[in-house]
Amino acid sequence: MLSGENITVRYGERAVVDGVSFHLQEGQWLMLAGPNGAGKSTLIEAIAQGVPYTGVIRWQGENLRAMKPQQLARRIGVLSQRNGVGYAYTVEEVVGLGRYAYRGGFLSGRRGEDHDRVDQALAMTGLLGLRRASMLTLSGGEMQRAFLAQVFAQDPQVLILDEPANHLDLNYQQQIFSLIQAWLRQPGRAVLSVVHDLSLARRYGTHAVLMHRGRSVAQGPIDGVMTPEHLNGVYGMDVAAWLGELLGQWQGDKKGHCS
Amino acid sequence: MNDTRTLRRERFAPLTYALLTAALLLAMILCVCVGSVPISLSDTVTAVWNALWGLPIPQTIAKNIILNVRLPRVLCVAQAGASLSLCGAAMQGLLRNPLADGSTMGVSSGAALGAVIAMAAGFTLPGTGYGGVMVTAMAFAFGSLVLILSLAYALDHSLATHSIILIGVIFTMFISSIISLVVTFASDHTRSLNFWTLGSFSGVNYDQAKLLALALALCGGVIMRYSHELNAFAVGEDNARHVGVNVKRVKLVILITVSALIGVCVSISGTVSFVGLVMPHIARMLVGPNHKRLLPASLFAGAIFLLLADLAARTLFSPIELSIGVVTSLVGAVAFVIIFYRTRKAR
Amino acid sequence: MSKKLISLFLAALMLIGCLPALADEAITVTDMHDREITLDAPATRVVAMQPSDCEILCAIGCEDALVGIGQYCDYPASITSLPVVQSGAETNVEEILALEPQVVLMNDMSQTEEQVKQLEDNGVKVVVSKATDIEGVYYAIRMIGTLMGKADAAEAVVADMQDTFADIQSKAQDEGKTVYFEVSPLEYGLWTAGAGTFMDELATICGLTNAFGDVNDWASISEEQVIARDPDYIVTITMYYGEGPTPVEEILGREGWQDLKAVKSGQVFNASDSNALSRPGPRLKDAAVELYDFIYGEAAEVEPAA
Repeated sequence: MLSGENITVRYGERAVVDGVSFHLQEGQWLMLAGPNGAGKSTLIEAIAQGVPYTGVIRWQGENLRAMKPQQLARRIGVLSQRNGVGYAYTVEEVVGLGRYAYRGGFLSGRRGEDHDRVDQALAMTGLLGLRRASMLTLSGGEMQRAFLAQVFAQDPQVLILDEPANHLDLNYQQQIFSLIQAWLRQPGRAVLSVVHDLSLARRYGTHAVLMHRGRSVAQGPIDGVMTPEHLNGVYGMDVAAWLGELLGQWQGDKKGHCS
Repeated sequence: MNDTRTLRRERFAPLTYALLTAALLLAMILCVCVGSVPISLSDTVTAVWNALWGLPIPQTIAKNIILNVRLPRVLCVAQAGASLSLCGAAMQGLLRNPLADGSTMGVSSGAALGAVIAMAAGFTLPGTGYGGVMVTAMAFAFGSLVLILSLAYALDHSLATHSIILIGVIFTMFISSIISLVVTFASDHTRSLNFWTLGSFSGVNYDQAKLLALALALCGGVIMRYSHELNAFAVGEDNARHVGVNVKRVKLVILITVSALIGVCVSISGTVSFVGLVMPHIARMLVGPNHKRLLPASLFAGAIFLLLADLAARTLFSPIELSIGVVTSLVGAVAFVIIFYRTRKAR
Repeated sequence: MSKKLISLFLAALMLIGCLPALADEAITVTDMHDREITLDAPATRVVAMQPSDCEILCAIGCEDALVGIGQYCDYPASITSLPVVQSGAETNVEEILALEPQVVLMNDMSQTEEQVKQLEDNGVKVVVSKATDIEGVYYAIRMIGTLMGKADAAEAVVADMQDTFADIQSKAQDEGKTVYFEVSPLEYGLWTAGAGTFMDELATICGLTNAFGDVNDWASISEEQVIARDPDYIVTITMYYGEGPTPVEEILGREGWQDLKAVKSGQVFNASDSNALSRPGPRLKDAAVELYDFIYGEAAEVEPAA
């Protein structure tokens, strides 16, 4: 559905993303992994047409650069990392903005559909009870869910997420990832996301692009990419041993609890 | 269904608008009836009524004062107030910055400088009389806006911060000194410094009222058409782009429109500060931040506020007239501190 | 300034008048800030910061003693070739000292105490001249005359002014007619000259009442007040620069003003020189004559437009 060829983003002389290519097929959840400064968020911004880049990004063969912003938004929904609200909009108003791409004189008859989509998105994210609440009064998790509801309402075919569960409590983390997984189950959809937590990435991703210093180090099905050999090289440490040690702390508790 | 009903209520609140319209009409009537020269209500009504139907008006003083002095002035003041407030609301939304406004961002003083220079240099467009001044004011307003935005952006890559206001205020001071310089050297050709820095509606006429009406209808219409986009910008510019707003084009159109409208206002009345800054906040308290409702509410609030401010300027120390900027700054600054304090506390 | 203070000055002046006889050439005056200034001999090098003092000096025949003028001094035209010094808030002591004056004539509004002291430490006598009414102008003329050793010439200028005003006053009939002075036109926001201005005094001399006598000094006033007060005469001091309608035509054409008595009868005049009407100098006499001619003379018939 979505593919990138030789994408390069430069900030001055430095190439933050350096010749990365990727392919995203229907039903896939492509994880962009890699340490800080690998260029993951910048690559996402480039796909969202938010930063100037070289190379070509195609949507079913069509160059994204040539698309109008509204066309683009009907195909690709972006949930970015920095989302704050300056004014006391209601949750419903912010979610409703997701329907912007469907506005236009001749589409005005679709108001009913807009309402339905907004309601569905609110229901999916468990925000029906907060629909009239001011965005300024929401907690971090509620805010993140509200913006997720906005991209759901946008009804794109590809979701692009930058750290969708960043700074969230564990229960919200699980909730949000499950929500996205449920969304992906519908035909004709795909997800591309930056996830810092390697365990989460491996748990939910189907495919991955491992990035290091702007370049793609490995890509393909998740199990083939997230191997100790790749990860250790990129992170400069024994990743599996460290994560195993972290999890190992809980094993004893779990056993003790069960017996 | 319950949900559709709440959504519809969001799109238009007839009661709020009815109240605002009533308040505006009341303010206009008050401003026509009250002035530094007392004229009886019946004379006032007769003058307006007879003029409407083309009948002769018996009382000449009432006729001259009401029809040739107060009425054009009230019309100009109301429309300028509405325009400035609308521009403030649009900028506060577009930049997601509650401190944005023509006067805090140097647009008004830029426009004033343009007007002063055009007057000093005797720049006129053929056949339009005052047109050269107005066009120069618009161009300078837009130039200042672009300059300030690019400076602010170069400083910290965001327009939602306070540094933009800081730059605007410094820019305003800088421009004011240039204005006073030009006024000093070309005092015979431009209006006084007082006019440019504090504003005045003294001596406005029906032609200017018509011009304002045209500018407000055109520019106001454009701004109102962009209320969805302004909502998206007010939530966040990145978010606006993600939901499919053509951010570059919308930003450009809004900034040009705002500059043009402020340019027209400034060339007619000088710089009147605080209207565009404070009134959108009051409107936001009344109807919320959604621009579908906020923009019309700001129009009303700005018109009503400026009408009352001008009434005070005209009558408080009669027969002496104050500069309208003295009144708006006095009231506006206090109101702004209260509003800002309250919204900060509410977070 | 109060009338009482002025009569005090006048009393002091009479005393001074007796002094030269006692101390041979030495001259002592009390300036308009109530300070005593003594000179060994009549001044021969003077810097005058204010236009009015320049005019007074020239009127008493002391133009040759002027070595420097303030930046706004422009009358008579012959003095404009003299060195110009900054005045008001921008007063520059060095500039003044460089001209080596014996006396500096200035207003006391913007100069700081320090600046005055600096000048005096350098042996320059600072004399304050600040008339706010016609009596004050007489005092200033006599004071400057004494300083310059031209008391007789000064007395003649004062007498000429007094005679002119008395003559006008005797011819003028006080019929309770009112005059509105327009200092700044409608386009720039209306300003008028109220009580405590020379225009107000001149109006009284010509048998008129200032329509805005209830306002003090120059003030911004509302247009509807002018219409309501319906003056018999309008005098504008706006300068005409040769483009567009003249100031008089502009006033006659204003919407809503067409029913004013002054407009209907064409009694709207443009003063030929706004400075004569507002400067505390000898030309107030000319301004009074011009105003009288506007109201009673042939000029009144010449001016009205369509």
